[in-house]
Amino acid sequence: MALGDLEREVMTQLWDAGEPLTVRQVHERLSRQRDLAYTTVMTVLDRLAKKGVVQQQKADRAYKYAPTQSREEMTASVMLDALTASDDQDAALAYFVGQLPPEALAAAIEAVQKKR
Amino acid sequence: MTALLLGALGLTLSLVVPGILANAHWPDRAPAAAVALWQSITLTGVLAAIGVVLVAPYELTRAAGSGKPVASAALIGALAVAALIILRLLISLYGVTRRSRARRARHRLLVDLLDRAEQHRELGPDHLRVLDGALPLAYCVPGREPRVVLSHGVLQVLDRAQIDAVLAHEQTHLRHRHEVVMESFTAFYRAVPGPLRSRKPLEAVHLLLEMIADDAARRRAGAGPLRAALERLTDAIPLAEDVKPDPAGEARRRRLERLAASHTRSVALSTVAAAGAVGLLVLPTVILVLPWLDRALDAWPL
Repeated sequence: MALGDLEREVMTQLWDAGEPLTVRQVHERLSRQRDLAYTTVMTVLDRLAKKGVVQQQKADRAYKYAPTQSREEMTASVMLDALTASDDQDAALAYFVGQLPPEALAAAIEAVQKKR
Repeated sequence: MTALLLGALGLTLSLVVPGILANAHWPDRAPAAAVALWQSITLTGVLAAIGVVLVAPYELTRAAGSGKPVASAALIGALAVAALIILRLLISLYGVTRRSRARRARHRLLVDLLDRAEQHRELGPDHLRVLDGALPLAYCVPGREPRVVLSHGVLQVLDRAQIDAVLAHEQTHLRHRHEVVMESFTAFYRAVPGPLRSRKPLEAVHLLLEMIADDAARRRAGAGPLRAALERLTDAIPLAEDVKPDPAGEARRRRLERLAASHTRSVALSTVAAAGAVGLLVLPTVILVLPWLDRALDAWPL
């Protein structure tokens, strides 16, 4: 299995869990579907932490991992990035107003503000 | 005299011509050749500016009858300024390329993590990613590991033929490396001093690249599905700097119009525009610079 797919599945587990997980917990959840080495999961979590999409927290002598953004927040910020020509976020939002249904716009803005 | 002519050429190409070409409608029928013409106009403008810098001191010192030390100093100064212009362009290009690569790498990382792989197994391409969200959005992330990104909304509002048209459009951007064209125009825009710079080339070339991708998608998937898809999708900027979105929908209207059956590509227009692009680059050099060089090298002061 490609490393990229594994990273995506680990993120999905962390997002679905809704709370920080230890390496062992992530390993258990992924092992239900396939045979996977514990150290592989550890490496993947470490890589995700280095990329800044996962946070490492120390709790009761064990490290726990949580996503830095919810799936919805990350999706909103990716879409805003795609809709923005430069770092000028205001221009993108002004553009959003004309294009988006109002409720979708409100959700997008809220998600981005939560991130800040 | 040569310096004056080169200066006039440079100013015309950077201040007058972009406005005329940006408002013209014939490029819609020959988009690829029109992009080449924009590139030629920009490059010739730069060459004219460098030409002025090199020629003017020589002509002034000769007209004033200055001695050899003054002429030498003027030549050294001219070479330094010319080098500075080239350096500024290169630094700008380096900066734009580095920033957009970093931005795309980050964007690619995030869409890979957010991908809903189970939703697009049957759609085909390996580098396709599908994001959650009802906003219908389609775009590509260029680079060595390119991605085509669709939102879930696209899968809901478009049928299979329309999705194929969108994929063909984005693949064309990736295959033709359109981001390199946009980056070079952005770098030039950033390097030019305020009063001389114009957004017109950036915006015009951006629209022309969309048209080129439309033409390729139309050949692969048909004009009907592409038109229908374009009417339903939200525009995304292809991760380029300095191109503003299109709130009035003018660019989209022009793209839809030319996808109508009556609007066809013109081989004659393409040939003329391509010849114009080559001529613009070659003729000033042959007519103005070579005769001057011939005279100037005879009197080389260093």
